[in-house]
Amino acid sequence: MPSANCLRNFSQLSLDATAHSTAASRFLQPRVACFSTSAARYANPQMKKKGMTAAPKKGVKTLNTKKSKGASGADAGKRPAQGERKAQRKRIVLSNNNALEVSSLKDLTKTNVLSEANEGLVMGLPEPVVDALRDVEAFKTTQGWSFFRRPAVLVRKEAIQLAKLFKAAEEAAPGKDKKTIRRILTGNRMSGKSTLLLQGLSMAFLRQWFVISLPECQDIVNAHTDYAPLEGSEPTQYTQDTYTAALLSQTLKANKAYFENAKITQKHDLAVPLPAKAKLSDLVAIGVANPEASWSVFKALWTELSQPGQPQILLAAEGLSHIMQNSEYMNADVKPIHAHDLTIVRHFVDHLSGVKQLPNGGVVLAATSKSNAPASPAMDFRIKSAEALKIQTSIPQWNPYTNGDARTMEALKDLENPKADLDILEVGGLSKEEARSIMEYYAESGMLRHQVNDGLVTEKWSLAGMGNIGELERASVRARI
Amino acid sequence: MVFINGFSFTEATLVKRSLESFFGIGPKVSQKIMAKFHIHPWAKVGALKNATVMDLTAELSTMKIENDARREVQDNIRRLKDMGTYRGRRHAMGLPVRGQRTRTQINTARRLNKVERGGSGRVQM
Repeated sequence: MPSANCLRNFSQLSLDATAHSTAASRFLQPRVACFSTSAARYANPQMKKKGMTAAPKKGVKTLNTKKSKGASGADAGKRPAQGERKAQRKRIVLSNNNALEVSSLKDLTKTNVLSEANEGLVMGLPEPVVDALRDVEAFKTTQGWSFFRRPAVLVRKEAIQLAKLFKAAEEAAPGKDKKTIRRILTGNRMSGKSTLLLQGLSMAFLRQWFVISLPECQDIVNAHTDYAPLEGSEPTQYTQDTYTAALLSQTLKANKAYFENAKITQKHDLAVPLPAKAKLSDLVAIGVANPEASWSVFKALWTELSQPGQPQILLAAEGLSHIMQNSEYMNADVKPIHAHDLTIVRHFVDHLSGVKQLPNGGVVLAATSKSNAPASPAMDFRIKSAEALKIQTSIPQWNPYTNGDARTMEALKDLENPKADLDILEVGGLSKEEARSIMEYYAESGMLRHQVNDGLVTEKWSLAGMGNIGELERASVRARI
Repeated sequence: MVFINGFSFTEATLVKRSLESFFGIGPKVSQKIMAKFHIHPWAKVGALKNATVMDLTAELSTMKIENDARREVQDNIRRLKDMGTYRGRRHAMGLPVRGQRTRTQINTARRLNKVERGGSGRVQM
């Protein structure tokens, strides 16, 4: 006859097989209904008794994943030194030791830089020019210089147009009327506007022009450097001593060849005394060393450059729309200062708009940007009008409900005048021949591992949106598929 | 160390920040002062010329800031209290003054609504 215990034993088998090793353990279990686990599940979870495991032996490491303050793991990394991260961010790499030397690469020289025979060729930049370009911060971190053995540029059709302008300015110089040619570089994003500006700078360096370049207009107007009202100016203009000193220092380094022989011919009224028999480079060095005198030194330098017999001048600026609006600076009445009231910007814009002419002729070049550009409806409108003039369609009408900057409209009004020498230089896509030429250069450098044939060129040219050079580089050098 | 209005600031402090450390000066007023003396928004205290620091101190000394500003606020509250107004009573009790509910969320009122509002200030060097 089966006992009651036996029956209960049988029915509890389903609950917990491990609990039945001995009859004694069975009686220690809580009594629960058969085939239901809810009571056990909802019962309070049993607290684990601390210290149940044996303490680790002395000298034995245990895994400790808890975060604790003051432990060595919290802040073990060494912080970068002051300025180190910025230096890393702004670092310009112009050479890649792993890229192959391109044997067919010829350098640009003083004689061939303006020649039309270069069209469609990739030409190397000679060492001194690279140094000078570095000094004026013409190379940008976003450009692909770091892929190749040494800096080289494609002489595209727009570069030839620019070379013609340089030639025109040079040929006009010996005659009576010194010619000032003014151009605004426009075009799509990554179409090579900055690189074309760099090519213009290298032409000027090679032809031994005097170069003053504003490497990034944003830095002038974003109120990161000090400013002060210029005494005796009406309406008030503002000088930027630190920025001007930095600009003078860049100019001094970049135009080394000119400053070697340049003498002071005029009398200048400066706050800082000049040493006897000072050369022009000493004058500029004073401006670099004493930022408070930098603007008067800049004016003195300009006076010297205005004398007859001095070289042609290239004035260049990058990121034009930043200086075609109010700056971030405030005047004493807490109203924003217009960028054209900053002395350096005024100097540039006066020459761009044609209010002043370059004394010995030369070129004023301004590049627009499509990636770092505040909205400037007035500038865009003037550029659109100039484009319409070029393709001979109807000139667009200004939308009166838009808030345009009147001073920008005034400064760029020559863009609508076909007779004026202010014009745009549109940087478009490459032709297929140009694309082939630069892709052959990529391949010879070992950065494009593919046979460069018509099929590949057409494919990449189309992928790059009809030969946009930045996209072409992205498709063929940067993307490794 | 640079002394502005009797308080010392390390040279790496932003001028804006150092000005706004005074009771009664916020973003607008600091912007106004800096524009008046042509100090750019990112200027550090160490980069100021001595003359500018003196000008700043002179300007600050004519303004109602720090203890003067605190006293004005406290006087206003005290006046309400002395008149026996509801607002004065609420201030004295540390409760919301402008009809907010008191069932929950009156921590801000508890913290701020006092007769001695604004604390006692920093120690001037």
